[in-house]
Amino acid sequence: MRPSTIKYFLKEGLSGLKKNLLMTVASIVAVMACISIMSFSYCVASNLQHILQQMEDSIGISVFLGGNPTSQEIEGMKTTISKIDHVLDVQYISPGDALEALKKDWGADEDIFEGLDETNNPLSHSFQITLDSIDNQGSVLATLKGIDGIDNIRHGQTETELIMKANKVFNIASILVMLILGIISIMIIMNTIRISVVNRRVEINIMKYVGATDWFIRWPFIIEGVIIGLVGAVIPLLVGMPIYAKVISSLYSYFPVIKMIQFLLTGDIFIVLFPVALVFGVLLGVIGSVTSIRKHLQV
Amino acid sequence: MIWLNNVTKTYPNGSRGVENLNLHIEKGDFVFIVGSSGSGKSTLIKLLLKELEPSTGDITINRVKTNELSRNQVPYLRRNLGVVFQDFRLLPNKTVYENVAFAMRVIEAPSRIIRRNVPAVLALVGLGKKGRSYPNQLSGGEQQRTALARAIVNNPPILICDEPTGNLDPETAWGIMQLLDDINKRGTTIVMATHARDIVDDMQKRVVTLKQGQIVRDIKKGGYSDEA
Repeated sequence: MRPSTIKYFLKEGLSGLKKNLLMTVASIVAVMACISIMSFSYCVASNLQHILQQMEDSIGISVFLGGNPTSQEIEGMKTTISKIDHVLDVQYISPGDALEALKKDWGADEDIFEGLDETNNPLSHSFQITLDSIDNQGSVLATLKGIDGIDNIRHGQTETELIMKANKVFNIASILVMLILGIISIMIIMNTIRISVVNRRVEINIMKYVGATDWFIRWPFIIEGVIIGLVGAVIPLLVGMPIYAKVISSLYSYFPVIKMIQFLLTGDIFIVLFPVALVFGVLLGVIGSVTSIRKHLQV
Repeated sequence: MIWLNNVTKTYPNGSRGVENLNLHIEKGDFVFIVGSSGSGKSTLIKLLLKELEPSTGDITINRVKTNELSRNQVPYLRRNLGVVFQDFRLLPNKTVYENVAFAMRVIEAPSRIIRRNVPAVLALVGLGKKGRSYPNQLSGGEQQRTALARAIVNNPPILICDEPTGNLDPETAWGIMQLLDDINKRGTTIVMATHARDIVDDMQKRVVTLKQGQIVRDIKKGGYSDEA
């Protein structure tokens, strides 16, 4: 293709969009809506995934012992637990260690634990149990419940399941919304291109008589679709990037507890989202224009 | 140059466009296709342009059997055919120069060649100074000259004219006919469908007369047929 031909296509595509400004804006807004939803879903879903990953890494069962067991009793308990199937590791945590760890987790806010020491430490003796797989949590829990001397068992099963379920529901919902918005975008783009084809009826007719190839006639309309898709994708991405950064930093500053979990960085999110959203936007534009061309441009 | 072999075109509604046409037009010919409305002139023109497909029979243009062409090849067939219509069909938002250059641009001619050929063709049709005018600033004759310039700028071996003088007063029409004659003398084969008895009588070229879709008369050199 000659450079002058490419220039011609771009010029024609742009002039088609300009002549038909209202529909062009409507199409861009439709693509923007679709890309915004897609970006939002991706941000939420990838963060949920990221949090799940962190939880799974720290997954385990905490077993708290009642009363004040002797070191012999503690040793015996450790041996019993180690023998349970699927248990990889058992770590004893004394009340003192637990207090230290807690203080560390709270960081700057550790002063709320001030005044607590060995004499009045309310925390229990406990074991941190690591499993080979989260799938075997159920069977290990059942065995642990049958052991005397265990006061309390805590595990992340319900929380993990909740997040997993939320993630799944959220994913399905956002795919559905994206699908609907995608179809609407394509339909609006189709209509825009149709008007553009009608506006250029005479021109197309002459082009056919002088021997322009079908593709030569189609290109300006495809360019129109591509421009709609690109603009519709770039705007929400550029607007979304600072918004995401802002939301994450406000979450951290308003809810200090959240510091225990890590959100994905803006760069991590957008390095994936940017190319994917651009391709998706262009795809919407191309599908819209090509369908319209096939329907309305008899070449 | 152009061969029609037993060509029949029946429209989907059953009406007959042309029936059993056999026609041979040689390179360099100037042929009038005459006949009243509904005689099949337009159908014949559309068949030559491959806007319509013959129901039976075959058409050969420039040694290519047009029925055998795939859709993708049709544009290349059309580059052999310049076309002029009664209603000019100029682009109103483009200047005379741009209208003519458009025909070159859409077949991806190099810009250098466009800049060279367009002024030459405009000079040939007598519009050397009108390049910057828009179609609505031109007379009917000038508009048709622009259309003619557009039709020949890619140097097609065949020029097809569908009632090119239909919208013009007799004097202007004459100017166009002189121009067509010049173009023909430069070697371009011309097929012109027309109603204009005076023009056909004065030009003394080959005349093919159609009636109800059939050729009823074909003379090498002559005037308008009374049978038409």
